[in-house]
Amino acid sequence: MFSKLRSQLIATAAWRISMWTTLAFALGTAVAFLIVYSLVAQGIQERSDTWLAGETRVLAQVFADTPRDHLYLRVREIAELATHEVPEGRSASAERITSTFFLATDSMNPEAPLWVGPGPKEAFIAAIQKAKVVPGAPQSIRLDGLGQTFRVMVREQSGKTLYLGLSDRGAAGLLHRFARRLFAVWGGMFLLGFVISYWSARGTLLRVERITETVARIGTEDLEERLPEPANSDEISRLASTFNRMLDRIQSSVNQLRTVTGSVAHDLKSPVTSIRGTLESALFETENERWRESVGEAIEHLDRLLLLLNTTLDLAEAEAGALQLDRAPVDLSVAVAQLVDLYQPAMSDRGHKLTLDLEEHVFVDADSGLLYRMISNLLENELTHLPAECLITVRLRSHGGSAELVVEDDGPGFPPEIIPHAFERFVKGKQSPGHGLGLAFVNAVVQAHDGTVHLFARSGGGAMITVSLPVSVLQPS
Amino acid sequence: MRLLLVEDDVSIQQFLKRALFEAGYRVDTASTAKAGEALALEGSHDGFIVDLGLPDLDGLELIARCRAQGSAAPVLILSARRSVDERVRGLEQGGDDYLTKPFALAELLARLRNLLRRSAPPQYEPTRLQAADLHLDLVRREARRGDHLLQLTPQEFSLLEYLCRNEGRVVTRTMILDHVWRMRIDPATNVVDVHIYRLRNKVDQDTSRPLIHTIRGVGYVLKTA
Repeated sequence: MFSKLRSQLIATAAWRISMWTTLAFALGTAVAFLIVYSLVAQGIQERSDTWLAGETRVLAQVFADTPRDHLYLRVREIAELATHEVPEGRSASAERITSTFFLATDSMNPEAPLWVGPGPKEAFIAAIQKAKVVPGAPQSIRLDGLGQTFRVMVREQSGKTLYLGLSDRGAAGLLHRFARRLFAVWGGMFLLGFVISYWSARGTLLRVERITETVARIGTEDLEERLPEPANSDEISRLASTFNRMLDRIQSSVNQLRTVTGSVAHDLKSPVTSIRGTLESALFETENERWRESVGEAIEHLDRLLLLLNTTLDLAEAEAGALQLDRAPVDLSVAVAQLVDLYQPAMSDRGHKLTLDLEEHVFVDADSGLLYRMISNLLENELTHLPAECLITVRLRSHGGSAELVVEDDGPGFPPEIIPHAFERFVKGKQSPGHGLGLAFVNAVVQAHDGTVHLFARSGGGAMITVSLPVSVLQPS
Repeated sequence: MRLLLVEDDVSIQQFLKRALFEAGYRVDTASTAKAGEALALEGSHDGFIVDLGLPDLDGLELIARCRAQGSAAPVLILSARRSVDERVRGLEQGGDDYLTKPFALAELLARLRNLLRRSAPPQYEPTRLQAADLHLDLVRREARRGDHLLQLTPQEFSLLEYLCRNEGRVVTRTMILDHVWRMRIDPATNVVDVHIYRLRNKVDQDTSRPLIHTIRGVGYVLKTA
């Protein structure tokens, strides 16, 4: 479950946006911190180099005109000063010289160099030789034995060479702590940046999500509804208002379509009536069997057209909310039983088995004409769409103030793609005969009676349509 | 019998006039409510057929005016509007029956006959019906073909009774649904035909003289010849 939640989180745009934002932010700050770090490191080195250069110059002077012992003391003084110079060295005892070394060689007397420093001088001499230290600018040498690096300044003067070294252990420690802090701050900024960008992206995208939900609902249920348009006109408010304009256009097109369908159907009625009447008169004027057959066939085709026109008109009226209901308590049980009685022979001709399970005396406040047509449409639907030899069950129950009529079958069921739209006009399966108006009419009538209708795919195959209508309050005794 | 037909659609007016004439009625026609009212006030018509959607005046208004002038002749309303409300209003305003366009001619004639008979003095209600060697006992609800007692369901008996009462006249599927099942529905499937086939199998089985005939495109008729 947790991994599902996580994958849902990762799938959101808010997550991706904040990831990219945070990544860019982290890279930017990392570059800035690296620049700061290198400037600080360079500053520290420059400072110790300046110190080294100054001291070396002083020592060289002293070395030139001071006896050797005196020089030794002088070097110790400098070493002590150096402990103040080096940030890390302050805690170290001045007695134990660890942060500086001094080496003076004389080409006249190469066997006895002057040495002040931590540990034996041989390691230092080797390191100096290895690094090929030349006079001029300070250089770094690596003491493998001591595990530290020294900056070394060399000065040559009348055959004598002076080396003054200063450990950068203190500087390294300082820089190390500095880097650790920078890293901690950077990490904190990274997290904070992620949280802030995720939070703001999510806030914005939640508004988009709300728009999506509302638009989806409007698309399936009700074209009247509109998105709220906040007073400020940021991008998302503009999105909402664009959607609203689009819905306006869709609604007006749909209304136009309905009006056109309705008026076409209406205008066709008169000519079709007179064609039908003329044909019908002709039918009785001739004794010629073949003519009568042809005319009869023409009338039958015309009747199918008329049925389509009438249903279209009824639907247009129902969907426009213009159905005038003449409501009275109707015994739904009787209505269903009568219609089943009418449809039973046609169904058994097709090999269907019909099971009836009706609770008696379930009354609903309904326009009986529309109610009968609604139920007949449900049964027509079964008769038209089922392949031969199916089991049809019609059930009627009343519970909790509503009457529930269920018509189910064990046929092939509705194609899954049309289930959500089965109650819309002209929606039908590709293989389906009929015009796709029957269930739309059922839906319109049920809704006009404050009821609901649902279509389910049965788990064992087949379709189930349930119609719920409020039961009559004034139940006649 | 003299009828007044008030209908503005010329093609409908034409075919109705012809069909009514062939059915034995004399027909006056009018295309507007004004002309219709003028003709109606002559007071010599046995029945009116009035379309509701007239160009100058609503048909209902015309009926109300005729009634106000004391005309008692039955009125059959024609309308393109199908709503129940319209039907109720039409019948309240003095119409006697209501037919929505498009309609079957057979149904219009049947309704018209019915209306004109209603306005005539009442006839006694028969307890027996007969067509050739078919006998119906309406009290015991039994049907015999010759000496043979037919095994009919109550619904089949009602259907046969309706066909018998209209012997020689074509009845449409809509009329059968209306009178036998008492419902106004328009099935797209052959539900009514299946009932007729079943009835025919019982009534016309083992006989050289079938009584129930199909009139393709219109409906069914029970006739002896």
